[in-house]
Amino acid sequence: MESLNAWAPRVLSLLRIVVALLFIENGTVKLFHFPVGEPGAPAALPTIELIAGWLEFGGGTLLALGVWTRPVAFILSGEMAVAYFMDHFPQSFWPIVNQGDNAILYCWVFFFLVFAGPGAWSLDAVLRRKV
Amino acid sequence: MESLKAWAPRVLSLLRIVAALLLIEHGTMKLLHFPIPQPGAPDPLPMLLFVAACLEIGGGVLLALGLFTRPVAFILAGEMAVAYFTAHLPHSPWPGVNQGGEAILYCWIFFYLVFAGGGAWSLDAAMAKRR
Repeated sequence: MESLNAWAPRVLSLLRIVVALLFIENGTVKLFHFPVGEPGAPAALPTIELIAGWLEFGGGTLLALGVWTRPVAFILSGEMAVAYFMDHFPQSFWPIVNQGDNAILYCWVFFFLVFAGPGAWSLDAVLRRKV
Repeated sequence: MESLKAWAPRVLSLLRIVAALLLIEHGTMKLLHFPIPQPGAPDPLPMLLFVAACLEIGGGVLLALGLFTRPVAFILAGEMAVAYFTAHLPHSPWPGVNQGGEAILYCWIFFYLVFAGGGAWSLDAAMAKRR
């Protein structure tokens, strides 16, 4: 089954793109109420939610394209850790009760991208080839 | 930043373990009502949810240990795809509305593990070293 390894960099890029698109949606829900408004969010976003929304929208776009993947992933991983410990963890120790599983999954996928890089299909990889 | 790559197999194992532990929790919630019962799930469980719970607990344990990572991850990625298309997509095409973002994340993380394997810290790797 080791021959599957040859495809890993390409599948890593697919994982990165899918996760980034989902992440962008988290941002658009907060910022533009698209496709729906965030349930329970006040109409005028508090500053911290506004920052989170723009990190998710902007960072997610960079990540989907694979531009500056490692530093962007590092920042977003940190954002998700903050979100988990501020929003979710105080409610319960169990992720399934505090509804924080999404934040944990994002946090770790992004943390992995810091080390693994963007994979085969990314603007980072295209730019590197040109240099 | 390429030197970060040396750590990627180890961080991949951490991602695998965290995702597997979260998945186990989904199984115990359905099957054992631990830490809480799954909201809205009928009691006793319908056959499909029972199979899902067994896959999540059994597959999650194997994945956390890193035993038979690739085939187990393949089965779980399939389970999550089925879960998304049967339980979430019918409600809305937007993951932000149909609440299926988490299933998508699991599906793609597991699909990546099919190709990348269990990483540095796994029983698979320990057994390969012994051979």
